[in-house]
Amino acid sequence: MLIRLVGGDVIDPVNGTSGRRDLWIRDGVIVEAPEGGAADETHDVSGCIVMAGAIDIHSHIGGGNVNTARLLLPEQHAAHQPRPANTPLSSAGWSTYQTGCLYAQMGFTTVVEPAMAPSTALHTHLELADIPIIDKATLAILGNDDFTLSLLRDEKSTAMLDDYVAWIVASSRALGVKVINAGAAAAFKDNVRSFSFDDVVPEYGLTSRSIVKALQASVTRLGIPHPLHVHCNNLGIAGSADTAAATIAATEGTPLHLAHLQFYGYGTEGKRKFSSEAARLAELVNGNPDVTIDIGQVMFGQTVTISSDVMRQFSALGNANPKKSVIIDGDGNSGGGIVPYRYKHDYYGSLQWAVGLELFLLITDPWRVFFTTDHPNGAPFTAYPELFELLMSAEARDAKATELNAGALELTTLASVRREYTFEEIAIMTRAAPAKLLGLKDRGHLAAGAIADIAVYRRGKDIAKMFREAALVFKNGEVVVKNGKVTKYRWGKALRLNPPADKAMVKRMRDYHDERYGLSLEWFTFADTAIAREEPFAEVSCKS
Amino acid sequence: MRNMSVAWIGSQPVSLMDAIQNVAKLLVSSRCPVFTIDADVHGTRSAIALAERVGGAFDHIHGDTLAREVALFADQGAMITTPGETRRRSSLVVLVGDIPVAHHELLLHLAGSNPDLGDRNKRVWFHVEGALEPPSDAGRLHRKLRPVAIGGEGLGLSGVLAALRADLLGRNQTGSLANVDRLKSALGKSRFPVFVFSGAMNSPDLAMLQGLVADLNKQGRASSLFLPTDDDAWGTALTSLWMTGFPPRTGFSDSLPSYDPVRWDTQRMVRDKEADLHVWVSARGTMPPKGRIGLVSLSRTEKRTEGAAVTISVGRAGVDHDGVAFSSRIGTFHSLTASAPSELPSIASVLQQLALVFPGRMGLPC
Ligand SMILES: [Zn+2]
Repeated sequence: MLIRLVGGDVIDPVNGTSGRRDLWIRDGVIVEAPEGGAADETHDVSGCIVMAGAIDIHSHIGGGNVNTARLLLPEQHAAHQPRPANTPLSSAGWSTYQTGCLYAQMGFTTVVEPAMAPSTALHTHLELADIPIIDKATLAILGNDDFTLSLLRDEKSTAMLDDYVAWIVASSRALGVKVINAGAAAAFKDNVRSFSFDDVVPEYGLTSRSIVKALQASVTRLGIPHPLHVHCNNLGIAGSADTAAATIAATEGTPLHLAHLQFYGYGTEGKRKFSSEAARLAELVNGNPDVTIDIGQVMFGQTVTISSDVMRQFSALGNANPKKSVIIDGDGNSGGGIVPYRYKHDYYGSLQWAVGLELFLLITDPWRVFFTTDHPNGAPFTAYPELFELLMSAEARDAKATELNAGALELTTLASVRREYTFEEIAIMTRAAPAKLLGLKDRGHLAAGAIADIAVYRRGKDIAKMFREAALVFKNGEVVVKNGKVTKYRWGKALRLNPPADKAMVKRMRDYHDERYGLSLEWFTFADTAIAREEPFAEVSCKS
Repeated sequence: MRNMSVAWIGSQPVSLMDAIQNVAKLLVSSRCPVFTIDADVHGTRSAIALAERVGGAFDHIHGDTLAREVALFADQGAMITTPGETRRRSSLVVLVGDIPVAHHELLLHLAGSNPDLGDRNKRVWFHVEGALEPPSDAGRLHRKLRPVAIGGEGLGLSGVLAALRADLLGRNQTGSLANVDRLKSALGKSRFPVFVFSGAMNSPDLAMLQGLVADLNKQGRASSLFLPTDDDAWGTALTSLWMTGFPPRTGFSDSLPSYDPVRWDTQRMVRDKEADLHVWVSARGTMPPKGRIGLVSLSRTEKRTEGAAVTISVGRAGVDHDGVAFSSRIGTFHSLTASAPSELPSIASVLQQLALVFPGRMGLPC
């Protein structure tokens, strides 16, 4: 089957070939224009923007904590706007089925769930397998579990740490490693209530910094393509910019990814002692090529915060809206907190909104800044179209600013920043750069050989509408969305690394689970067949 | 069992395919079919997908219990921990109310170990109970655990919890609880006390318990361990939540799910004849309640289900075939291996075949 997309404005920064040209697809893959080839299927996309399918590197779309949020908040569905479509379960509010459909309708074809606790990996993968259309991936959380912390405390060899990280990544079928407020969840169990980068975890005598550095080095040695994904300490707190700055300075020549930097963009100036430090952080990011960040943009309205940063979520209980929440002291890395929250047009909400946009606009390299709302923490991912508009139109930002708290906005540089993202930059930030960051060579661009994940947008004055309802979306060469509606159900895969397991480490894991949990390792591991879908996983290779 | 029938129309043994086609016919002509489910994750997934396809409603066989457990969380939330963390970190375990027999093994297991993290003290046990007399099935548990009973004459569980909470805040004037000083002293020594409760608790009692746990967390640490009344039911609830956004007792009309624990109580709907076809799905072979509407039984049974228009014998995950189920031993899902593999079809495979003989012949999404 040969498919041809005719006459589109192709935005493909990786290959430097942006401009009007046709695209050809054969067997799910983009191919060179065949000589004298006649297409079996032709799509006229003249006047449309054509990009690779978008990739979201940080969106909490499935797993234990996400599901607990559903349990806690049956009323939350309204915030996620069910939109009936003629596809199985796709109108089920805030469900896995709707997640896949809504992402696809916006032209997203790959989404990373960034917080999978290794001990509940099966649950996460069961949910991801029920997200239709798109490909998925997960990051395995480490850094708060007794095994890692004991290894570091006892100064075991780096080889042993590497074997453990490799075993975790392989057995939990992850695409990378994330550390969340390193050491804080362990410290919180010992009644520590605040925890900074150089604070010490009581049981282990380790600083948060030392945990991050050890995992960063291990991830690098193992050739895991995605740099260690760091959720810093002190999220959301006035003055957290200092923590982010210290973490940025700790890269020391090795890559680190800092998640949802917006939530650390706060200083202590102003009457309310809560101010924007976005300009300072942007400068630090601009000056350090080893750092990549995603934003975690705040938009307004009701949402629910879902985080494995149990210490931070516990401290946020007073702000729960509505007044109910779940706090979990989990096994090692599996805890967290679910705290519903409403972002209002007040001082705090307005400042957070502006900080996110400042970071987007002041960080100059679109290859190092990633487009996220930390779904659903800053906003549900369904707010993406409006966020694209804010980035591409200074006028749209000005208009929104008039609804917000002027005092807060005055403490930011936002009004003076007139930058507008170009389509080229949007394509880098949401396609090319995420593929590069995650080590996915087969996507994020439109050269021959790439899988045919393609999003076609109809140009229009209304930027949000354009991105909300893709004119056409192809997943692996199949049309899955037409005019903003899902037309074809299919099942994507979970992308994973599969580093070989060290036999001695497997034995060590057996002994550890027997001794510490009184249960055999089989309780915690699973075969691919447990997912009950054909080929639920696809392997991505580590760097050699 | 191999040479015996696995499917019946009425009392007549038929081939599996004939039975499936007959069920499809019944579903097509039904105005309001309801599904009552007792299955592992994959059986549940297929049953919910089929319920959506036919515009029906679904519930768990233990729907009443499950609805109450779901409400415990949806009403007020909780501070909870896992069995693993309880084992490794908690030197003080307080049982609250009755703990279902199914979890006694977990508790006995816990009693045979001591924490290796936190204060590492020898584990001690308390039991907050309404009546000082433990229920008879707790006898063995009590002999092994030797929990110190916290209770008060004439106080039900609600009264005991309220008095205990007040006591711990230094506000109890009556001083009527037995052994409360021992508990206070134990709380003083334990750095991570855990209160174990089950879904058998009612919502106000849980609110009181969670309030007590919150009080303890003002200065120190404490948490609670939730043990669902029925692990499989809880697994079905979690599966339903990710598939539809809602727990069981969800119905589909125009393919939009709506959750209503009263309206979509399927066994009530059968009793009240609001439904006109009852699809009973039981991997444990539980018998359906008698009803006056059409019944389809997918059950782990060797003989036809009495009163069923169609009966299909199905296997049970972890016995007849592999599967995935929730387990309170680890507080999450784990994969099950068939302990006695048989040719009985899985619930998922029967329901998937059913969808394929349906008008449209579209496969289920799972
Ligand atoms: Zn996040």
